[in-house]
Amino acid sequence: MAATTTTSAVYIQVIEDVINKVREEFVNNAGPGEDVLKELQGTWEAKMIQAGVVIGPIERSGAPKPTPGGPITPVHDLNVPYEGTEEYETPTAEMLFPPTPLQTPIQTPLPGTVDSSMYNIPTGSSDYPTPGSDTGGGGGGGGSGGSGSGTNNNDPKTGKPSQFMQPPSPWMSQRPPLDVNVAYVEGRDEADRGTSHQPLTQDFFMMSSGKRKREDLPPQYHAGGFIPQQDGAGDATSEVFEIEVSGGSTSLGGHGIVTSANKEMLAHAARSCSKIPQLDGPIPDPYEDDVISTPNIYNYQGVFNEDYNIANTPAPNDVPAGTPAVVAQNDVGEDDDDEPPLNENDDDDFDDVDQGEEQNTQHLVLAQFDKVTRTKSRWKCTLKDGIMHINNKDILFNKATGEFDF
Amino acid sequence: MATFELYRRSTIGMCLTETLDEMVNSGTLSPELAIQVLVQFDKSMTEALESQVKNKVTIKGHLHTYRFCDNVWTFILQKATFKSDDNSETVDRVKIVACDSKLLTQ
Repeated sequence: MAATTTTSAVYIQVIEDVINKVREEFVNNAGPGEDVLKELQGTWEAKMIQAGVVIGPIERSGAPKPTPGGPITPVHDLNVPYEGTEEYETPTAEMLFPPTPLQTPIQTPLPGTVDSSMYNIPTGSSDYPTPGSDTGGGGGGGGSGGSGSGTNNNDPKTGKPSQFMQPPSPWMSQRPPLDVNVAYVEGRDEADRGTSHQPLTQDFFMMSSGKRKREDLPPQYHAGGFIPQQDGAGDATSEVFEIEVSGGSTSLGGHGIVTSANKEMLAHAARSCSKIPQLDGPIPDPYEDDVISTPNIYNYQGVFNEDYNIANTPAPNDVPAGTPAVVAQNDVGEDDDDEPPLNENDDDDFDDVDQGEEQNTQHLVLAQFDKVTRTKSRWKCTLKDGIMHINNKDILFNKATGEFDF
Repeated sequence: MATFELYRRSTIGMCLTETLDEMVNSGTLSPELAIQVLVQFDKSMTEALESQVKNKVTIKGHLHTYRFCDNVWTFILQKATFKSDDNSETVDRVKIVACDSKLLTQ
C-alpha cells in the first residue's frame, strides 16, 4: 500500500506541476484561459481516479465528482469559464476592459474559450493574461494548500452548466469543419445524404436528371435532337441516373454497356428502350468510364432502386465499401484469395505478442536503463525512474535491478 | 531539456492524453497547446521520478524476448516477480520498455 499511496501523491504533484507550468500558455498569448485549464485538470484527475491510480484526491474530493460531468459534455466547461470568471475574478477584467469594440465582439465568441485561442490572439491576450495571472497567482500561492483552492475552482465549474446553452452556437458557427467531421458525420449521415448529395446531383445534371426522370422523358429526347453535345453528356449521365433511379426501366437498355455488371438490367433494357440505345451505341467507351464514376458520385439517386443499389449505391455511400464491391463484381475470387491471407498472417504473427501483453495482461514497465549486460543466457539490467503498472497497480521506482534468464 | 515521451504510456500519461484528445476534439483546446501540455508532462513526470521517488525494486523472471532498437530496450518477461520494500507482485507476462538514461543527461 505504501507504494501505491506514494504513487498517488506523486501523480497528484505531477498533475499540479503540469497545470501550473502550462498555465501561462493557457492564460497568455490568447490561450483558452484559466477555465479551460481547470477543465483539463479536473478531467485528468477524474480519469486518474477512475483508473484507481489516484487514491486520495481527498483535497479535491469535490473536484472528481463534478469533473466527470465535464468530460461527458465538453460544452459545459466552455460556458463555465465565462461565468466562473465573472463571478470570481474575471468580472473585473472584463468589466474594466470592454473599451475597444474589437475586443468585445471577440470576447463574445470567447465563451467557448477555445475560440479565443484560435482567433483572438492579440486582443484576448491583453485582457485575459492579467486576470488569469491573478488567478494563477492565487492558485500557485496555494501551492500544496492549493488543493483546497483547486476544489473551490472546480466546484464553480461544474456548478455552472446551466448556461451551457449559449456557447454551443458560437462553436457551431466558428468551427463548422471540426464539428461536422467529428460529431455530425454519423448522426447526419441520413440528413447529409438527403440534402448534400441531392444538391450535387442537381448541380451537375440540372437540366437532365431531376426533371427528366420524374417529370417527362420526352424533354430528354427533344433536347438530344437539338443539342447533341449536351444530350450526349447529359444522356449518358441522365441515363445512368435513370437506371439507378428508375430501376432501369427504359434507359437501362441503353446503358447495358455501362451496367455490364448487371446483366439483368440489359434484359429489361432491351425491352423498353428503343430511342436511347442509339445514342449510347456511338459512344460506348466514354460512357463506361462515366458509368463507373457517376454511380460513385451520385449514389443517392440510385438509392431509390433496389437492384441498382446493390451494385451501385454501396460504392457511392461509402467509398471504401463501394470500391471493394465493384472489384468483387469484376473479380471476386482474386480479392478473396489475396486479401484475407495477408491480413490474417499479419495479425497472427506480429500483433499477438503485443496484444497479448498490452490488451490481455497490461502489465507494463516504463523506465530508463542505465546498463544492460548479458552473460550467456543471464541478463542483468539496471533501470531507474520507472513507472510500473502491475496487477492494476501503479508503482514508481527510483531504481530497479533486473535479473532475467533467457 | 531533453525528455522522453515514454511516460505518456503510463496510466497518468494515458489519462492526460485522453483528456487532451477530448478537449481538442470538442474544440476546447488547440492541438498545439495540447502538445505543449504533453511536453510539460514529459518534463514534470521525469522530474518527479528523479526527485520524489526513492523506491527500489528488484525484478526477476524468465526473459521471453529482448529487443534493442533505437536506443530502447524492450524486454518481455514471463513469470516475473517484482519486489519492492514492502510488497511483491508476480505476473505471468510483463513488458519492460526502457529508454537510455544517458540521452537525458546529454
